[in-house]
Amino acid sequence: MESATNQQPQITLARTGESEPHIAAGPPPGDDSFWRVLIVWFGSLTIERRILAGFSLVFSGILVISAVSYRNTNRVIANSGFDTRSHELVQLLSNIDVAMNETENNHRRYLVTGEELYLESYLSVVKEKPTFIKYLQQLTDGVPEQHERVMLLDRLMDQQLAAEARAIATLTDRGFGAVKQMVLEGAAKQEVAQIHRLVAEMEAYEGQALHRRVLESAATTTNTIVLLGLGALLQFVLLASVYYLIRHDITERRRVAAELQRRGELLEAANKELESFSYSVSHDLRAPLRHIDGYASLLRKAVTDSLNDKAARYLQTISDSAKQMGQLIDDLLVFSRMGRQEMLQTAVDLNRLIQTILYDLRLDLQGREISWTIATLPEVSGDPAMLRQVFMNLITNAVKFTSTRPIAIIEIGIDRPTPGEVVIFVRDNGVGFDMQYAGKLFGVFQRLHRMDEFEGTGIGLANVRRIVHRHGGRTWAEGELGKGATFYVALPMRRTRS
Amino acid sequence: MTVAKPIVLAEDNPRDAELALAAMEDQNMSDKVVLCRDGAEVLDYLYCRGPFASRMKVNPAVIFLDIKMPKVNGLEVLRTIKADVNLRPIPVVMLTSSREERDLGESYALGANAYVVKPVEFHQFVSAVKELGMFWGVINEPPPQGSGSGQ
Repeated sequence: MESATNQQPQITLARTGESEPHIAAGPPPGDDSFWRVLIVWFGSLTIERRILAGFSLVFSGILVISAVSYRNTNRVIANSGFDTRSHELVQLLSNIDVAMNETENNHRRYLVTGEELYLESYLSVVKEKPTFIKYLQQLTDGVPEQHERVMLLDRLMDQQLAAEARAIATLTDRGFGAVKQMVLEGAAKQEVAQIHRLVAEMEAYEGQALHRRVLESAATTTNTIVLLGLGALLQFVLLASVYYLIRHDITERRRVAAELQRRGELLEAANKELESFSYSVSHDLRAPLRHIDGYASLLRKAVTDSLNDKAARYLQTISDSAKQMGQLIDDLLVFSRMGRQEMLQTAVDLNRLIQTILYDLRLDLQGREISWTIATLPEVSGDPAMLRQVFMNLITNAVKFTSTRPIAIIEIGIDRPTPGEVVIFVRDNGVGFDMQYAGKLFGVFQRLHRMDEFEGTGIGLANVRRIVHRHGGRTWAEGELGKGATFYVALPMRRTRS
Repeated sequence: MTVAKPIVLAEDNPRDAELALAAMEDQNMSDKVVLCRDGAEVLDYLYCRGPFASRMKVNPAVIFLDIKMPKVNGLEVLRTIKADVNLRPIPVVMLTSSREERDLGESYALGANAYVVKPVEFHQFVSAVKELGMFWGVINEPPPQGSGSGQ
């Protein structure tokens, strides 16, 4: 609704152009700006905060309604208490009225007859009066107008009783003649009439109060019913929102699960495609290389007599390049296979692994002077063939890059213990590398040395990193040009079976 | 040391075929080589069909089989050979560019007698082909003719 009203001026602005920009720019009158600020604020919240704000609003609404309903109900209960009091008061007043009237009448009869029996009601009123007044005071407690009237009533009753007492005394002292006039007129006729009027007044007052309270209770009850209805509506809104949110959440989860599955299938398809791609590479790329080398050789053989040194070198270069590319393809295939191959998870004894590698390298190590320092290594969990590849690469690298040293020093050890992982390093005193190229070391086909310095395709460390990552580990290297290099492999600690 | 029986070379790539023949030339084996350009031709030869209908009904000493070939690929040829009682005794050597584990495993599972990856380097290729020709064509004693298809 708000947005609909906001639209209006913008349309006007678009039509009239810049002649009346204030229509859109001018602040809307009154409360409208407050609502706009509120809506802008609400719009700036994240969805979670919006939900929280909405829930808080509804919840506080329900709280307020509950509080008001409680208060209303209390008021109705209190009113009904007042009603009971009013009824009792009216009853008591009419009793008093009757009693005073009767007292006056009986008193007259006594004055005429001198019969003591007629004095009973007078005596009983004298006796009961304090109780009546006290009770009346209680019933009118908190209502000042009525309380005052009770005081007045108290005084009037005293006056009536006093007048009657005087009459009795006169009769006793001076005989019937003295009270004859009183008998005719009534000793406290005036007071009785006043009491009667006062009682009527009080009753009327109570009647009005009663009526007022009835109206008030009715209004309060209606109010409460409306509020309770509103509360029920709010609760319904709350429940509906919760239902909607849960439903939305479930739908969202289902959607995400479906999406995940779809992506998994896509990934699988992509993997299959990659596999067939590398298959093609392996098969088709090799053939032309073989032909290049083959025909170069056949050519050399065919023209061997007329071949000068230069031409022979050219032919050799053709053959060498073909071989080198064959090696690159093979390495790339191994690298690609490392990423796809199923991984075993068994206990691997690194000491044994290193020993076998050194044994297998013994022919390459002939004629080299190398000082080996190999620490006792722990057992790790992983794929033995893959881990063998890791350490094979690191060790052959160390051997290769120390080939310029008269005595190569190669150390294999464990770095300071880190919780949850084993950090193994291979350190050499070889040519090292500049730390600014450290990030490139583990890249595919990244080389930091010229081909004529050290041979290799630059795939070894890429394989190391890929394998270690697949084991959930990390790799990094430290080095200094001319001083040597240290390669670190962090593997997750083997979980001891419980 | 003469080669009594023909050697079947299944190779769709004429250059590879030429290089292989050049390698076997030295051993005087090249004239015994029957060159098939795809898997279908190999089967035609073995079953004496089509262009080979009139050939001498004698099983070859060995079949060198490339895997990736048009029409019928090497693995399908291998499956047919090893499923046929008469052809099963013929030694089959897979001679291929593929180093894929899948191909290796499947070839051996189907009953290949050897699996050789063609070396990129010509000298190695030559020596591999020579040795293969020598071993299977000369040194190895072929199965008796009694189990051949010509009978």
